[in-house]
Amino acid sequence: MIPHEAPPGELMNVQVVRLLSGVSVHGDQHLAEVERDLVQMDVLLNEAIKKLCTSFMAIHHAVDRQQEALNNLLADSMPATEYAARFETLRGEINLHVDAAVTGLQFQDMTSQLIGRMIQHLAGLRNVFGALDTNGTVLPESGNEALLAMLNHISDRVGAHCTELAGGVRSTVNQRHMNSGDIELF
Amino acid sequence: MSKTILAVDDSGSLRQMLSFSLKAAGYGVIEAVDGEDGLNKAKQQKVDLVLTDQNMPGMDGLSLIKALRAMKNYQNVPILMLTTESGDDMKALGKAAGASGWLVKPFDPARLTEVIKKLIG
Repeated sequence: MIPHEAPPGELMNVQVVRLLSGVSVHGDQHLAEVERDLVQMDVLLNEAIKKLCTSFMAIHHAVDRQQEALNNLLADSMPATEYAARFETLRGEINLHVDAAVTGLQFQDMTSQLIGRMIQHLAGLRNVFGALDTNGTVLPESGNEALLAMLNHISDRVGAHCTELAGGVRSTVNQRHMNSGDIELF
Repeated sequence: MSKTILAVDDSGSLRQMLSFSLKAAGYGVIEAVDGEDGLNKAKQQKVDLVLTDQNMPGMDGLSLIKALRAMKNYQNVPILMLTTESGDDMKALGKAAGASGWLVKPFDPARLTEVIKKLIG
């Protein structure tokens, strides 16, 4: 609580210190929550892709075995040409779906890179919020000199972290869809 | 005898999809988890083509290409970069390092094998 009888200079000093500490602590708390959720999301996506890949491989092998059995059956009973053609068409359709699934199943490589970059940015932002902390600074009851010195010091710290953050993590994923990418031979 | 391809990528799911697609097309596949692992495996066994990611922990794709091109028996082996990176500046770096081509992820198995067939048959 700020005493009502405090002189205006002291009141401002106390308010500035409280404001900075509040922004620092609450900002950091919220970013820590976001970071935790991102890490959890990454873990879930990682597990999901492993399961999807395993199921995909199992389905593919099962379809292969089924195809083999059908081929043997067809060879034994010398089927009509239209049956053979129908199975050939089906095989083509299956292959198209398999190729599309292989392209789609590559999403986790990109999402994990994006999540990793977000986490690095969050860590940088938490450093910025940390730099706002007044670390329990007690300012003199009157005068602005100590307040200005403290604000300058904080400003320098924030500036240094912002520069680090800006130059830190290069963007490596620009894909906005899961269609296959460009190919260029040199 | 089937041709052998070295697939270098730190993403397990990507390696699995690459391996699946290349084996289905009749190639033998050796997997490596990063540039250093790729370099070690390339030294142990000569491969017919190298497919590498760019951004990996430790040795990245560009460094791997430079290291391979410095080896006598890898000077003429096709090396393809398969990466999420699509910028012209990165492609220029890849070309300068000795990459034979640049493929932007995600890949389509049919298009990938078509390119590989063109390069190594």
